[in-house]
Order: sequence, then structure tokens, then C-alpha cells
Amino acid sequence: MTNRDGARLLALPPSAVLGRPTETLADVDTTLEPDAVWLLGPEREARAFARTRQMFDAPAFHPPLETDGEVVSRQPIGTELEIAVVRSLRALRASPADVSSALSDSRSTPIAVVCDDVTTTTRPTALETGLEGAAELAAALPPGRVTTVLTSGVPAGYDELWHLAAETGAIRAVEHEPQLECEPAGDDCVSVRVRGAGPVEGYGGSASLSVLELDETGVTAVDTYERSDFGLEAVAGIGPKTAERLADAEVTTRAELLETPIDKLAGYPGVGRDSAHRMHRHATVLEAGEPRRLTDESLPAESGRPPLCLDIETDGLSPTILWQIGVYDPADDSYRAFVERDDPDDPAPVLEALCDWLFASHPDRALLTWNGWRFDYRHLGAFVARHVPYYVEEWESVPKFDLYDWAVREGHALLPGRTNKLEDVAGALGYEGAETGLDGAQTAAAYQRFLRTGEEFDWGRHEAYCEDDCRALWHVYERLRDAPRATDSSDTSPAEAEGATPSGTTGGEQTGLGDF
Amino acid sequence: MDTDDAADEDGTEPTDGSREDVPVTGDELLETFPRYRDEEDVSVLEIPGREASTVPNDEVLRPELAGPLEYDLYAHQAEALAALEHDENICVATSTSSGKTRIYALQIARNVLEARARGERSTAYVLYPTKALSRDQERELNDFFDVLGLDISVRVYDGDTDPGETRRQIREGADVIISNFAGVNTYLHDHDRWARFLSTCDLVVVDESHTYTGVHGMHVAWVIRRLKRVLEYYGADPQFALTSATIGNPGEHSSALIAESVTVVDEDGSPTGPRELVLWNPPARARADGSDGDSATAGGSEDEADNAVVERVPASVEAPKLLSHLCYHDAQTLLFTPSRKLAELSVKRASTHRRDRSRYYANPDRGSEIEPYHAGHSRTKRHGTEHRLKTGALDGVASTNALELGINVGEMDTTVQLGYPGQRQSFWQQIGRAGRGTRRALSVLVAGHRTLDQYVANNPDYLLETDVEDAVVDVDNDAVFARHLLCAADELALKGADAGAFAERERLERAVEMWCRAGRLAGHLETGISYVGPPRPQGSISLYATSGEEYAVELADGVDERHDPEMEPLAEERVLRDFHEGAVRLHEGRQYEVCAVDHDSPRPTVTLRPTDADCYTRTRTDVTVLDAVSEESREIGDFTLHFGRGQVLVYHGTYDRVDVDNGDPKEQGLPTENPPLSIETQLCWLEVPDALERALVERYREFSLEDEDGDGDEDGIAETAHLGYAGGLHAAEHATIGVAPLELMVDKRDLGGLATLSIDSHLERERGENGTTGKGGTSGEAPRNVAAAEATVRQIADGLEHEPKSGWFIYDGIDGGLGFSRAIYENFEAVAERARELIADCDCGRVDGCPACVMDDQCGNDNQPLHREAAVDVLDRLLGNESGEALEADAAESESGSDRRPPLFYS
Repeated sequence: MTNRDGARLLALPPSAVLGRPTETLADVDTTLEPDAVWLLGPEREARAFARTRQMFDAPAFHPPLETDGEVVSRQPIGTELEIAVVRSLRALRASPADVSSALSDSRSTPIAVVCDDVTTTTRPTALETGLEGAAELAAALPPGRVTTVLTSGVPAGYDELWHLAAETGAIRAVEHEPQLECEPAGDDCVSVRVRGAGPVEGYGGSASLSVLELDETGVTAVDTYERSDFGLEAVAGIGPKTAERLADAEVTTRAELLETPIDKLAGYPGVGRDSAHRMHRHATVLEAGEPRRLTDESLPAESGRPPLCLDIETDGLSPTILWQIGVYDPADDSYRAFVERDDPDDPAPVLEALCDWLFASHPDRALLTWNGWRFDYRHLGAFVARHVPYYVEEWESVPKFDLYDWAVREGHALLPGRTNKLEDVAGALGYEGAETGLDGAQTAAAYQRFLRTGEEFDWGRHEAYCEDDCRALWHVYERLRDAPRATDSSDTSPAEAEGATPSGTTGGEQTGLGDF
Repeated sequence: MDTDDAADEDGTEPTDGSREDVPVTGDELLETFPRYRDEEDVSVLEIPGREASTVPNDEVLRPELAGPLEYDLYAHQAEALAALEHDENICVATSTSSGKTRIYALQIARNVLEARARGERSTAYVLYPTKALSRDQERELNDFFDVLGLDISVRVYDGDTDPGETRRQIREGADVIISNFAGVNTYLHDHDRWARFLSTCDLVVVDESHTYTGVHGMHVAWVIRRLKRVLEYYGADPQFALTSATIGNPGEHSSALIAESVTVVDEDGSPTGPRELVLWNPPARARADGSDGDSATAGGSEDEADNAVVERVPASVEAPKLLSHLCYHDAQTLLFTPSRKLAELSVKRASTHRRDRSRYYANPDRGSEIEPYHAGHSRTKRHGTEHRLKTGALDGVASTNALELGINVGEMDTTVQLGYPGQRQSFWQQIGRAGRGTRRALSVLVAGHRTLDQYVANNPDYLLETDVEDAVVDVDNDAVFARHLLCAADELALKGADAGAFAERERLERAVEMWCRAGRLAGHLETGISYVGPPRPQGSISLYATSGEEYAVELADGVDERHDPEMEPLAEERVLRDFHEGAVRLHEGRQYEVCAVDHDSPRPTVTLRPTDADCYTRTRTDVTVLDAVSEESREIGDFTLHFGRGQVLVYHGTYDRVDVDNGDPKEQGLPTENPPLSIETQLCWLEVPDALERALVERYREFSLEDEDGDGDEDGIAETAHLGYAGGLHAAEHATIGVAPLELMVDKRDLGGLATLSIDSHLERERGENGTTGKGGTSGEAPRNVAAAEATVRQIADGLEHEPKSGWFIYDGIDGGLGFSRAIYENFEAVAERARELIADCDCGRVDGCPACVMDDQCGNDNQPLHREAAVDVLDRLLGNESGEALEADAAESESGSDRRPPLFYS
């Protein structure tokens, strides 16, 4: 996966450990390659912990069981880094000094403190959100600097900087974009950067596993996965019930699945012949890292000139401006970015520039996006109608395709990659990205800050990020184009392709800017 | 006029043709009804008719619209159309069948014609409270546009509309889209798909707008605000046309809903004939007569306690007889029943009545085509019934309030109401169904046992007063606001411009900060705030609850789908009170038992199975109020009335199983297994002046409670001299809540109260007093259960340095509040006046009252202590009645002053 330099901390809820075959956990281990495993509290789950220690090579810890006679224990993450693990808020309340001394150890300062009881409490009737554990943290953490606290009490991706009065824990202020600016608020203030590792609610279920990339500065990235992204359940058509039945028949890995003849598979309750075929095909795709086409349908815009690969950057999920529109033209391997650098209050010029160029230079070309019907096209359509209404008709007549939609929702192809995020899919297909370290949410927040403050903006990095997505999209397209069609492979009948939409695809639908 | 006489039972065939107007008059009803008994029980009121007031069509409308219309416009229609022409928003609050639909239909026609003349389009969004009404009105509007010869496409778009292509066609092609607010809430998420329709929208119609009150009303108010934001984004600035039944405050209510000024049109220009109104209190029940001891009486209402001291024949038995009788006498009659089951039963009972009185009803087939009607029937069946009513093929129908709202069934001769529908607004709406043009109409109200019914039966003038209840809608509930704010941010980025337009800046900023801290919103107001939480926040809005904590209602495994109660999700507050495990509930007249409640899963549920039990359940409730903070107060004489906010701890800890037939408890004190509920809500409270308190304590110091259940004197209160006075406060609390619906469109089930001898110990304490701060801070010092809270209250009472005030609280039983106690605060005198009448006029003759006056089946203290006289004394003094003044004189000398006041409180 990305960023191999830092260390990787896998945050794992006990429910994902219990009731899952060991082979699935092994798949988690080999896929995510954690340097340490954090079995989430605050409930004490001794059985799950035993299992975790058994199944993962990396050292594991479970805060409620971190006794050692101490309130706080130290946990190495990889070879260079260390975090402090606090058993519970109660323990912290009893002896705050222990944490202070652990954190002020000059030999090696932990990069973060884990405390699973820390959570936000929202009281809508009072329009207030407070921080559970604020008083304890204020008493235990050093004032005048920022300490990162990791907790499963808030969802993965949560990142807020709480400034607490050192004396009382009263909330002084909360900074909402610590990824852009993360400064302490004075010597009488304990500044806590709270970062989540808990489950994230999505369209289809909740993403309950997360991987936190760490370096000496703290958390650099957070990726989330669903339980069903691993083991047999990663195969389309295998849900928890089918996985259980297969496990009873001692089929617990994808390799074993592939070794089980179709006839035998089709004999298990709830699996018919068609789904047995489908399972085999998808397992092959996942194991081999090769995409597979399920129908004879041509790829969108497959004949004639290749489509233009498009990606937009906005200032948020409800955008007020589409400030960057990147277009990669595979025909001559050229990339073009339309960027608003001068007057971010006016969304029209970028759109106008795009339309001018598109209609003048490429009147006959189709557009291609990843999940564009839910995001890029949706907003482009609305913005064109509103800001450059004279182009509406031309815009509407441009052929538009969504490769994600075609492959996943319409079920024309199976893709490797544990999620349907473009980054994951392209990565699984061998695309090597530009490693900008950005995601959509970060680039949106950064542009918002530019809007607000006019401060210096790293145009190069953000443009590279957009371009990378356009090129990754073309990479996926090419790999799909080169994959054999359904009729070229012996075990497929066209009818089977019907309804082949994998059940595990919901995780790829957009749940936040982080997903695209 | 005693007709209880066998000779009369023969009756006579009604003589046809001798009257011009109505088949049966009120007096004739009294004369002909078999075994009619006591004159005292019936009043006949005369309501004069009204001449039509019309305006020639061509004065108001362009020729192509005026031409095809057969009749002239009524004055109110013309007035409304004129106001619309002047770019005003309107609220038309006139009677049933006064042609309100025609107003907005004509406005739509005008808009479309004008737009087409410019080569543009004009669309209208027409919103009804129910899907049934939507289909009905789709036909009406299409028919009307046919008459006008206009090609205007009217389509329904709601949960029943086929997904996919059909929906796309409607969004892109329809001129008029009919939907409901649950739909609007959902569809706003994908507003870009609606861009064509929204950007040309010139009119938004909110039909039957009076139905949007309470929790539902505030959700609708916020959905409208969100819709307006999106409309503005697409450059549309439509007018709003609201239509309402007659309510007390149509202008205020409409403005609160749409956040804009509204021109009220309420001078009804449609004609009506004179009307006779018969208030019919059923005769006393013959105790020995088993046939009248009807097993379905508890079906009359979920809240009915069936053990009135004066036992009359239940309305559910009497009303069907009247239906039968009136139909026999050629009067096409519509009977309104409170439940589906009673609608069905009433039809059977109507026919039984014929058979039982076969000597009187010599020709049993005469006027015997009677059918039930309710939302549980298929659409086809309902349409069939509607049609047969319209064409006169049916003699009578027993219907739920499904026929109260504007579905067109033509006009009846007579209406009968099985019980008072609870509000004058609804009462008028229902009886408005009777009356063919300007012909004479007859309406009969058969009173039930309940407080309000008996009040109305004993105070017939109440119905004729010109005032109608105020509709209460309130947008101050921050919990509801905050949820809609998430949706708004998901629909379009929140910007500085939303301050003022969507919510005032300070409130907006606080809510944004709250959600940013919680990780649900991201960004800045200057540049735009987006929603970043779980997908589709619109889906988590329940239009019937304030918090996200709502419970889906499901059928138990293996139960046939057709028993599905199709209930809206329930608010947590309702679940804890009425849907605990083991509860037996009536829904739309069908009986269900709650077999499981799941509080803990991410998607909480209540599981029901149909049952046929001979009992219903009644929850016992402990309540206390903590940390109340006064935000406003005013003097009423030497009383002080406060409005504010506070924490209410409610614990529905046990329940009783009560016999359906006689209201006797069969099993008592069963555990509900409920967690306690803590809500932050709005409340008002009244402080009684010290001097009056002293006088009343003195006057009623002899009052004591019988220790009926022999469980000893748990609270050590039975002996206290304050008990009589406390009983007075407790009775006054019950009565003020009980009659609040007479003045305001509030739901009694959403109100709660607490009478207390120590108001001060329920108030937020100053910092430092007793060594604690008032609110629990972040670490949650607030008591978590009612016992602890009550202990806290007593402890505070003991620590008070001054003598506390006594009085009672009334609170909104919904987290965040509903505006109900605020409306009571503003209308307290009127409510108190009604309460006084209710208590003083009740003929139960008991010190501690009866269920028709001060007893309340939700009482957490088993209706003890209650003291009617003491309550009347308090209310008299509050209202400045003379009898109150005299009290203190006789108490002045005997003042003992030495009694330490016990911290008693009763819910």
C-alpha cells in the first residue's frame, strides 16, 4: 500500500476478531502488514486479545489489559516509534502523574497516547459538544504543547485539536483543521489532538478496521476497511452466512475456494451453480491481481478515440467552487489542468476555460471518470447550468462515462483491490502513484484555507494529486481493456453475468472526501 | 319529553316531502329516537347559515380562465387570488368545501399561461399531509385543468411512485408535482436532479397546513426552510399558498411554518345553510344490562380510562345507533370514529340496532347501505366507497378521520361524531361535511367519558365561541434544528449568508461549532461548510421525533404481513412510556402487544404482534424536574408564572394491566425493564403566593389519605397538614394539562406536569450553594435515575435557607421541547379558566375527583393526593375571582407557621 516509510498501526475492534476464521485474520495480516495491532477498548475482551496475539506477527496491545502494574505502558510501533497506552480514564484520573512522567521521558517521547474512553459527547438540545475525559487529560498531559490522543471512541478519520485549560480541563477552543495548522495555545493550555480509530458508518455497513500510518510527527494517514474486505468474504457473493457454511466444509481461504470444484461448491446450501462460478472468478481476480470482464459489453468509448480522463477538486463535499479540473488525454499522453488561482469567489472562469477548450479542441471526445455520476458529473452539471448557462446544451451532449459505474454497479467486470477506491484498485493493478500524501478532504481543506486567508498555496503538490488520479483512471481503463471478455473464457455464460454486482462493493461508494 | 315508553317505540314511518331541507331535524331526532331518556342529557344548538358572497370571474381572472368557469368566484377566492397577484404569500383559512383548492389551481393556471406567453415554464410544488389526499387531489386538479382546457401536467411523486424512469420523467416533465414533506425531506438530497423543476417553481402549496403542529410541525417548518435555500440556489423565489382549517392564529402559524409574512384570507364567501347541532350525552348505563357493557369501549381511545363515576353508555355503543336511526330516516350520514376498529364495529352495531328494535324499524332494509371507511382499506375499495357516497348509493359511512381532510365525497345530510374529536378545529372540519349547499344540516356529537367530552357536553357554548384553538409550531427546539442543519449542509454548503435567513447567526455558529467538534461538519462559514458524516443525513430525520433516537416498529417473526401496523417510527420518549415490553397498545383500532424492544442496537426497534386481549396496559411514571432556569416570567395577580428550560427525569418503571370492560386493574406494578429517560426541555411553572398557601394549608389541614393498599406510609406524608393543599396543586396541575387542548392545538400526551411544595429545590442552584454547581459540568454529576434525583431534590429542600415557593410545573415531554409549555405560558389565564370550570362543574361529587375532571390515568402517584376544592380555590385566586380573596382573612389569625413544609411533589 502507500507510504512504506513510516510505521503502520492496525486498529481492530474485538468483534472483527471473534467469530472470524483464523484464515481471515491471516489475510488481514498479510494484506495490511501492520507493525503493531491495537485491539480496541474500552471493553475488556481477553479472548479476542489472545486470538489477536496468536494470529498477528506484529506486537499487539489491548488497553484494558495493559496492566504491568502501571497506568500507562509503552508500546513500540515498528523499530523507531513508540506510543503510550493508557488503560482507562479511571486509571488516568487516579494517577495522572504517571502519564506526565511517561510523556516527559527525554530518552524517547511517545508520539501519541492511546485512550479508548476519550470520546465526544454531543448534546443537541444545548448545542454543545464536549470531550469526555477532558479534565483527566488536562491533568495528565503536558501544557504548552500538542499531544496526539488516539481513541476508538470516535470514528476513524476524526481529527480535531482541543485546547483545554490546564487547571480544569475546561474547553478553551477547538481547532477544526489541525492537518493544516497544529499549534499549542499557550502555556496554561493542554492541547490534545484527538484522532479517531473507531468504526465509520457508510452506505452499506460500517468500516470497522483502520490502519493508521505513523511517523515521528504523529498520524500521517488513516485508511479504513470493512471486515468483509478480507478472507473469503472479500469474494463477491460470499457473506457471513455463506462463509460460515464454507468454513464448515473446511473452505476458509480463497485458495481453498479455488481448489473446490464448481460442482461441489454449487452443492452447498444457498450457493447455486451461477454463484459458484462467480465466486471462482472473483477469487481468481483477487488472488492474481488481474481484472476480469464478466460480459461481452465493450468498454465505454472503446472504439474510436480514447476518452478524456477527468477529475475535479472542490472545496468540500458540498462545493461552492470546482477549483481544479484535471483532464488527461491518453491519445497524446498530455495532461491539462484548469485551476482557479486568482479569484476563488467566482466559479465561472474555470468552467468556462474547460468548456472553451473541450468544445473547441475536442468536440467529439467522450469523458471518463471514476464514480463521476455521484460526484464529478453531478457537480459539473449543476455548476455549468448555474455559472456558464450558455454552454449547458453542449455540456449535456458530451458523452460521459463512469468506469466505476460500468464495472462495479453494472457488473461488467471484477476488479482486484480490497476496496473500490480508485487508489486501491489502481494500486492492485500495478499503478505506481505520485505519493503526494494528499486525499480529497485534505486538498479541499487546504483550498478553503487559501480562500479564507489568501496564504501561500502549494499549487504544484495539489495539481500533482489531481493529475495522478486522472492517470490512475486511465491505467485501470487500459487494464480492463486488455482483460479478456467473457466469451473468451470458457467458464462463463452471459446469463451468469446478470446481477453480478459484487455484494462487497458498497464500501467503495463515497462516504467522505477520503474515498476518491 | 320522555319517550321511554313502549307506545312510542312503534314509531311512525317518516313522512317524506313534508320538509324542504333536511330529512330529519334535531327536534325530530329527539322525538323519533327510540327510548330516548333524559332531557338533561341533550342540547340542541342552532347555528345560522351564511349567504354566498361572490365576485364576477372576469373581474379577477383573464378571459381564458374566466370563460370556462361555470360559477362565479366566492369572495374569499377572489381575495386570495388578488393577494397572490400582488406577490403576497397567502393562508386561506375557511370552512370545509369552500373551494380552497380552486384558488391555487387558478394561480397555477395563471402562472403557466404567463410563463408560456414568454416562452418559459412555470412549475408548482403542491404538498399534502397524506398520500391518500395526494392521489385524490391529483384527480381533482387534472379534472379542473381539463375544464379550463389547459394542458397542465399534474403528477404525484412520492414513496409509491415507481423508481427510475417514471420518476425522471416526472421531475423533468411535470408542471405540477404533488408530494408530501417526508418526500421533500428525502428528495432535497438529490436536488440537482430536480434542477429543472425547482428553477422554474413559482408556487409552493402547503395544503391542510393546520395539521403541522407539535413535533411534526417543527420538522415541516425546517424542511420548508431547507427547500427555500435550495430554491434560492436555483434562482427561484416562489410564493407560498397555505390552506388551513379554521384555527385561532392562521397568520402566526403560517409565518412560523414558512418564515415569511403571510396574508390571511378568512372571510368565508361560500354559502352554508343553517345547522342544528345536537350534543348528545348517552344515557346512564343500566348496571344490570350486560348488553351495554361493551367489550370494545377501551377501543374508543388509547387514553381512555373507562371507570367514570357516572357511568353512561359508551359513545361507541350509542353513536352507531344514531347512525342507524338517521340513515333509516333518509338522512345520508357520516359517522366519525376515533379508530379503524370502531369504524368497522359501528357498521355492525348499526345493523344490530335495527334488529334489536325491529318493531320500530319496520322496514329493516330501509337506509341500510352503510360501509366502513379508513386508511386500512385498499385504495380501490376506498375510491369505491367515496364514489358511492358521492352518488348517493350509500346511506351512511362510518369513517376514521381519514375523511376529515379534504377528500371529495360530496356533501352529507348529517354527521355524527363518536366522541369529541379533541379540538374545535377538528370538530368544525368534521361537521362541515354535512350540509348540501344552503340546505339545512344536522350534526350530532355523542359525548364519551373523557374529560374533554364531558366538558363540552356540560358547556355547549364552548363550541359556539368564535375562538378556535391556536396551532402551535415552534422552531426553538435546538435538537431538531441541529439535525436539519446537517441536512442543509449536505444539500448546499452552509455560508455566512445562511445567518439570518436560515437561523440567526449566533445559533448557526453554535450549531456549526457543535457539529465540527463532533466531526460531522467541516469547513468555515466564510467559505462554505460541508457535511462529512455518514451518508444521507436526511434518512435519519424522523418527522415525528426530535432526536435521532427513533425506533422502527416491526412485526414479530412469522406474523402475516397484513397485520403490519404500518406505524411511523416512534420517538424514544413514546417507546419508553407506551411501548415497553408487555405493553398492549391500540393502533388504528387494532390491538398489539409489544413482544420485544431493542434499545441498544444502532437501529433500535420495537417488535409487535397482533393480540386480542381483554385488557390494556397503563404505565406508571415517576417524574422529577431538576435545574430549571427561568428565562421569562410575568405576574398574574400575586402569582408568578415562569417560562424556561430544565432537565426532566422520567421513569416509566412499572405498568398495570387493566380490564377493558370495567377499567379495574388485573395486575399491577409489573416491571417495564425500561431505562430512565432524561430530557432537556421547555417548561413553565406557577408560583403560588405564600399567603394563599398558608390559608389553604389551614383550610384543608384535616384532609388525609386512606392507606388503601396497606403498604404503610412510605413517604411519611399521610399525616402532614400540607396534604390537602398539595392535593389541590396536584389536581390543578392535572386539570390545566387536561384542558390545554381546549385552547391550544397541543397533544396532551406530549405534556407532563409536577406539582410541588418546593419549587425552589427543582431550580438550578447558584454556583457555590450547597457546594455544587448547578449543571453537572462535563463529568455528568446530574443524577442518572429518578430515585437519586428525588433524593437530590429533598436534600436541596432541606438545605434551603428560605421558605420555598409551592406550585406546579408543566413541561414538554419531548427532548428539546415543542413550544407547548411556552404556548401555555402565554395563554395561562385562558387555560386556568377552563380548568376551573372543569373541576367546579364536574358532577362526580368526590373530593378527589373522577377521570372526567382531575384524575389522570398517566399519573405517577396513582392519583393521590387530589383535592378538587383546594384546586378551585387556587385557580379562583389566580383568576381574580372573589371567592379567592376571602380565604386569607379566615386563615390570617390561625396561622401556625411552625409546620416545617415537607418537600412533597406529585406528577
